[in-house]
Amino acid sequence: MMFTTEMIQLFAVVLAKDSERVSEVLLREGVIQFVNTAEIQNLDIDSLSTVNPQDSLTEITGLRDRIEGLLHAGGIIPAAPRDTDLSSRVPVAIEKENALLGQIDSERENIRERQRKIQQEILKLEDIRRQVDIYGLGLSDLPLKTKHSFLTIQTGRIPAPNIKKFDDELRAFPSLSVLLGQENDIAHYLLIAMRRDSERIRQILNNVGWTNIELPDELKSVKEDVFKELSVKLKALTEEQKKLEQKVSDLIRSHHQHLQDVWVNLKVTELLYKIQANFKSSSRTVVFIGWLPSSKKEELTRQIKTSCGSRCYLEWHQPGSPETINDEIPVQLNNPKIFAPFEMLVSNFGIPEYGTIDPTPFVMPLYLSMFGLMFADVGQGAILILAGIFGTFLHKTNFEKRGLYTLSWLIIWCGLSSVVFGFLFGSYFGFALLQPLWFDFHGIVSGNAEGGSSVKDIFDILAITLYFGIAVIFIGLFFNWINLFRTRKWMEMFFDKGGILGGWIYGGGIYIATYLFKYNYKVFPSAVIVFLLIGLPSLLLLAKEPCHYFLRKQTPEQHKMSRTFNPFIIVTFLMQWMVELLEIFSGYLANTLSFMRVAGLGIAHVSLMISFFSIARMTSGFYSIIILILGNILVICLEGLTAGVQALRLSYYEFFTKFFHGTGKLYTPISLNSK
Amino acid sequence: MKASALSKYAFINAKLRGRISKILPDEVFGRLAKAPSLDAALDILQETSFAELYEIYSSTGDLKKGELELLKKEIELYVNIKEHVHQDSIGFVNALLYKFEIENLKNSIRIYFDKKIRNRSADPNIHYILYEPIIHEIPIDVIINAENFDEIAGVCEGTPYSAIIKKYSHTAEAKGSLFRMEVAFDHFYYDNLLSTIKKMDRRDRIIVTRLIGVEIDLQNINWLIRLKNFYDLPLDAVMATIVPGGFNLNRAVIMELYRAQNVTPVLQNFVKGKYPGLSALLSSQTSDSYSRLLLIHRILEEIIKHEVRRVLAGYPFTIGIIFSYFILKSDELKKIRTILNAKKYDIQPQRIESMI
Repeated sequence: MMFTTEMIQLFAVVLAKDSERVSEVLLREGVIQFVNTAEIQNLDIDSLSTVNPQDSLTEITGLRDRIEGLLHAGGIIPAAPRDTDLSSRVPVAIEKENALLGQIDSERENIRERQRKIQQEILKLEDIRRQVDIYGLGLSDLPLKTKHSFLTIQTGRIPAPNIKKFDDELRAFPSLSVLLGQENDIAHYLLIAMRRDSERIRQILNNVGWTNIELPDELKSVKEDVFKELSVKLKALTEEQKKLEQKVSDLIRSHHQHLQDVWVNLKVTELLYKIQANFKSSSRTVVFIGWLPSSKKEELTRQIKTSCGSRCYLEWHQPGSPETINDEIPVQLNNPKIFAPFEMLVSNFGIPEYGTIDPTPFVMPLYLSMFGLMFADVGQGAILILAGIFGTFLHKTNFEKRGLYTLSWLIIWCGLSSVVFGFLFGSYFGFALLQPLWFDFHGIVSGNAEGGSSVKDIFDILAITLYFGIAVIFIGLFFNWINLFRTRKWMEMFFDKGGILGGWIYGGGIYIATYLFKYNYKVFPSAVIVFLLIGLPSLLLLAKEPCHYFLRKQTPEQHKMSRTFNPFIIVTFLMQWMVELLEIFSGYLANTLSFMRVAGLGIAHVSLMISFFSIARMTSGFYSIIILILGNILVICLEGLTAGVQALRLSYYEFFTKFFHGTGKLYTPISLNSK
Repeated sequence: MKASALSKYAFINAKLRGRISKILPDEVFGRLAKAPSLDAALDILQETSFAELYEIYSSTGDLKKGELELLKKEIELYVNIKEHVHQDSIGFVNALLYKFEIENLKNSIRIYFDKKIRNRSADPNIHYILYEPIIHEIPIDVIINAENFDEIAGVCEGTPYSAIIKKYSHTAEAKGSLFRMEVAFDHFYYDNLLSTIKKMDRRDRIIVTRLIGVEIDLQNINWLIRLKNFYDLPLDAVMATIVPGGFNLNRAVIMELYRAQNVTPVLQNFVKGKYPGLSALLSSQTSDSYSRLLLIHRILEEIIKHEVRRVLAGYPFTIGIIFSYFILKSDELKKIRTILNAKKYDIQPQRIESMI
């Protein structure tokens, strides 16, 4: 857990006739991250050729993407293939499936065409409704609001046999015709159209034998009916649109079982092809190379041998051994599930180098302590926990947004930390309901803390965060030494800013500062102590650049150059030494003081709560409760976010930078769950 | 006291860089272009920030309505950025917003013109223009339903457009074409933009002048293509349409381009000197003058992208980041529109890829 998972490299040769079964095993086990043989310079496999699958991977991926899109359009998200899908897979007839998709597309297009026509009707009616809304109808006793009404309204009659023609021809224009009544062979209509279309409407009316009539008084109340008619028509058309939309969904759903089966087959085939794309083959054999966790070695060996009846040659290489092909070892972080939110924070910064410390287990207590110190309140912490739980429920099944699910868990952890520190500092939504278990943060900030605790004033709080920061920096340095020791980088381990000499100077500086503080800045440690703690390591650091210059691995050209000793090089060494010393002194001082922000934000959190209490006291009853509720909401949102960001910033820049380079490459084997 | 570049642009720079990272990558456009149908292309978009387009299309089957929503979103983008920029930059964003108002006004005048002057039947585009105000309160309804240009000029009174409409209405009616009026609108847009730029700090002014200059080049080439292909106007008339302020193509170069049978030497002068990376495009063999102008258009588009990359890689606290974002976003929207319309008309993927 402390270090990245131990990996091992497999170099395998299997018979070509067994390659399909071996590919299936590799996919089922899902543990190999392949080394791309094409990228390897020193491997003599030029005589080997690439394995060419039956169908093109591009075609398979294209078809699978297309089906996936179609299923999504029907509200179906296909699940990742299972073990059984691998053994029960059948070849996909790509042309046939493309034809089926083409047929579905064409049926969809037919429905879309109908949707478009209805939409045009809707737009025309909406055009009229917009005019009615803005300018009114101008019927009966209500005059038009302005001269800019673009509607024409007329009543008239047409011979009943012309009704269809009348309706059909008017369809091309925004218009609304309301049948007022029908007597014998004559139909009475109220027609509303746009003034701009008057010319063409007149032609249509002439064609259908329209005769204008006066609107009878009893029909003047028809204005409301027009609105109703308009709404009814629009509603009917909208419902028809919804039905057509549903029809598209039903169309996809009617094929969904088949499409899902095809999708699974394609997905499995695609993954197998991706595996085989890493194979190199001769006429009879297939070669592949890949990394996997050492713990999976036995099981994979057994499975490969079973699949090919032991007709294979497997060679295992430890990382760093001369036989290893491609020294870029993938990194697997090996943490329990509860660390997932903190693993997310780490991988957001970078992936640790193989074999170095994975900081995830240390980030958890570090991040939560800092968050708790800055945002200590039982009640507000409980709210964060509830918000986090809500988030986890919301995103539990959404595998596309896994990050939000993990973030919700981080909020729960932060809430728990707030609750714990809230108990320690005795804060419950800003109220001191119970005695603090450690010290009274609110009391200290407001200046009315009761005695009895070792922490009495703000300086004590600042001191706590400084000690905390010193501890964090030392842990970071210690991790750096472990990493450099494991990777055998002796020069860096001794001379670097984060190496032993840097740590020695930092430790000496801390001792001297503590000593001065202890004696009220009146007594300085003895000269011998100061020399041993600061002077000696500083002088030893002077050897860094000459060592680098004379001991580094050189090309023959550089070696020749270095023979010609230049006296000015000594000046360069001295300058570099001074810059390095300056960097160490100023850098560590800044790093340490940076942790005071934890106390600062903790104080700001308490001060904000005190301010809201003061405002609440200016009123009473209901208003004071509202102020306190709003104050708590503001503090939770504002301070919660600030504390989260600052804790992250301290972890990244004051802790990680001491030992963590983030240049690793994440282990991503091809498995049934691969995207 | 004068605000520092840092205080003016630090926030918007961080915000827009975040947004730029969300612009669709070329890989998605490649997939869209290869999609076998319009529905399949929209299926791809449902996984992106353009999911709304998919929603609209699946509920109405109306691509134009989706495009209208895209346009509204683009305008919203400017309005939203305006709220976040320093007050010194608001004028510039406003000047850019004029582009949308002018395009909308042009569209509504075209509808009026087609109906009243050209006596054409009902235009379905009437449902796809913006009725909401962008900068000025212009009653689009009135323009569409107007009886004559005087009425349009009347309702545009108080806006910079009224004078343009009055000035060119007779030409439009006499020639049966809105060409001159539309060119005048474009000239107004760029004049206004360039005069806003003059008030900027030196560093901002240099960056924006360069970017706008390339955009003006592109606009001029667009006009040239239209004029050459549809109107075949004499050189003097063509030169009257040219917007001043271009970055690479001054009047002399444009004249040469319009007349030249072989444009390669003309282009080589500035492409090889300023953008050596684009010289490869010059090697394309073009058979006719129209294709040559299209080639220049392509080169200018590449130049804009080059300039945007240059701004994004340079000093971060300038107005360049805002303008670059608008250019990138508008390019993204243009590509989406182009692909979806091409899919609607069943254009082959290879051709679509060459169009984007």
